[in-house]
Amino acid sequence: MDNSEKMIEVVDLHKRFKNLHVLRGVSTVVTRSEVVAIMGPSGSGKSTFLRCLNRLEEPSSGHIYIEGVDIMAPYIDINKVRTEIGMVFQSFNLFPHLTAIENIKLAPMNVRKISANEATERGMALLKKVELEDKANAYPEQLSGGQQQRVAIARALAMQPQIMFFDEPTSALDPEMIGEVLDVMRAMAKEGMTMMIVSHEMGFIREAADRILFLADGLIVEEGTPDQIFSDSQHQRTQEFLSRIL
Amino acid sequence: MTAKPSSDNTASRLSEVKDRIGHVPLIRRNSFVYSFLTLLVLYGAFLLPHDGPPATAGLSVIILFFLLLIAWAVIIFTDELKPEFLKTVSVFAIFVVAAWLYYRYSTARWGEMTYLFFNVDIIKKAWPTLVTGFWTTLLLAVSAAIMSTILGLLLAVFRSFNNPVLNVFIIAYVDFFRAMPIIVLMMMIYYALPFMGIRLSAIASGILALGLNSSAYVSEIFRAGFLSIKKGQIEAAHALGLNPIKTMRLVLLPQAFRVVIPPLVSNYVASAKDTALASSISIIELLKAGLSEKSLLANPSPLIFVTALYLVMFMPLTRFSGYLEKRMKAGQRQVRL
Repeated sequence: MDNSEKMIEVVDLHKRFKNLHVLRGVSTVVTRSEVVAIMGPSGSGKSTFLRCLNRLEEPSSGHIYIEGVDIMAPYIDINKVRTEIGMVFQSFNLFPHLTAIENIKLAPMNVRKISANEATERGMALLKKVELEDKANAYPEQLSGGQQQRVAIARALAMQPQIMFFDEPTSALDPEMIGEVLDVMRAMAKEGMTMMIVSHEMGFIREAADRILFLADGLIVEEGTPDQIFSDSQHQRTQEFLSRIL
Repeated sequence: MTAKPSSDNTASRLSEVKDRIGHVPLIRRNSFVYSFLTLLVLYGAFLLPHDGPPATAGLSVIILFFLLLIAWAVIIFTDELKPEFLKTVSVFAIFVVAAWLYYRYSTARWGEMTYLFFNVDIIKKAWPTLVTGFWTTLLLAVSAAIMSTILGLLLAVFRSFNNPVLNVFIIAYVDFFRAMPIIVLMMMIYYALPFMGIRLSAIASGILALGLNSSAYVSEIFRAGFLSIKKGQIEAAHALGLNPIKTMRLVLLPQAFRVVIPPLVSNYVASAKDTALASSISIIELLKAGLSEKSLLANPSPLIFVTALYLVMFMPLTRFSGYLEKRMKAGQRQVRL
C-alpha cells in the first residue's frame, strides 16, 4: 500500500479579505489516511484555510491540488471536486425542511444520481453507524445538537468522499454531547479516512491526530506529531498558546 | 407562633381555613349571576322605552340597562372559576345588545338605507352585468398573478447568482415597473404598441400590464425570502457538490417558500384590486360594471354588492394560503413570542 499518496497538496496559499491578509503563505501536504489537526488562536485563519481547500472561500493566490488535480484551474468543475471532500460544520447546517434520512439522501440522489431505494439503504446504514437509526424520520429541530452533528457527518459520508473536513465540529455542543461526536470521528480515523480537523479538543487531537499544524497570524508556525507539539514545542508562539489552554 | 399547637388549636384553625375557602362572596355565587341575568332580561323586555329617539328620561333608562349589562359581564369575566362558555356568551351579549339598542333608538332611517344600499330588486336587475364583470376581474387577477409569480421568481433566481452585469438590468427592471403607473402602462400597451406592430387585445394588454407591474414586487419578495436563509445552508449544499441550480431548487426554494407566502398573498390581493384600473382601456371589469349599473339604475346597491363579490373572490385565496402555511409547518415549530 502506497502510504505516501498525496491527497491534498497546498502550495503558498494566500487569502486576503479586502485589507485583511488572513493567510500569508501556507503550504502543506496531506497523505492518504492521515489525520491532520489544525490548531491555533482565533483569527489565525484556521477555518479560512480549511474552507479554501474546497473553495468555499476563493483563495487570493497559491495552488491547491486535490488528488493531483489543480482546483484553481479556470475550467475545473468545482462541484465534482467537492464530491470527493465531505465537510462537517460547527453549526451543523442540516436542511431544516427535510428529515434526517432525507438530508442524507439528497446529495447522492441528485448529484451521483443513484436510485431512491439505494440511497435509503445507504442512508440507513450510515445512520446505524452513527447510532441514530431510530431518528431517521425526525426533523433536525427535533434532534439534540450531538444528534444533529452525527446526522451531518452521516450526510457528508453518504457521498463516499475520499477526504473529510471538520470545521470545529464540537464547538457548539454541550460537554455531554461532545463525546458521542468524537467517538464517531475516532472510528472514522481508525477505518483509514483522510481527515483534516480544526478543533480545540486537545485530548482528542493528542490521541487521534497523526500530525498537528499550529497556525498563527496566517502562517504555519510549527508542525509535527502530537508528542512533538505538546511536550517538546520549539517555537515561543506555540508554547504561549499551549500554556494558556493546557 | 411560639406556643406548641395543641389539638384544640389545630381544630379551630382548620375550621377557620375551611370557612375562608368554603365561603364564596355574594357576587361570585352562581345563583346571584343567574338571577342577575333574569333581572336584566326582564328589564330589557319590559322596562325599556319604545322604539325611536328617546327622551332624556328614557335615555338614562337605556344607559342604566347597558351599564348593568356590562357590570354583569365584568363579574363573569373577572372570575376564573366561571366556565369559558359563559365568558364568551357574555362578551357576545355586549356587542349584540349594543347593536340592538342602536338599531332601536338611533335616528337612523333603516328602511331608507336598505332601499338605497341593500336593494335586492335592483341587485337582481344588475346581476348579469355584475357576474360578467366578476369573471373578467377573476380572469385578469389570476392570469396576472401566474405571470407575475413566474417572472418574479425567475428574476429573483437570476439575482441570486450575484452577477454584477445581470444585476444592473434586474434592478433597472424592478425600479421601472414599480414606479410606472399601471394605467399608463396599460394604455401604452393597448394604444401605443400597435404602432410598433404588436397588437394585443384589451384583456391581454390588461394582463400584461398587471403582470409586469406585479412581477417587480414579487421578485423583491422572493429575494427577501432567499436572504432570510442562513448562509450555512448554501455552504452545506455546495460542500456536498450541489451546483447553484440544484442548491436553489432543493435547498433554497423550499425554505424560502414558507417565508414568502404571507407577503405574496397580500401582493396578490392588492394586485387583484388593481384590476379595477383595466376600465381605462375599456375592459368591463367588476368595479366598472358596478359603477355603470349604479348610474343606469340610479341606485348605489350594485356597488355595495360589488364589495361583497370582491370578498367572495379573495376568500378562497386567503383560505388556500392558510392551508399552505399549515402544510409547511410539518416538522417546524412556530416561534412563540
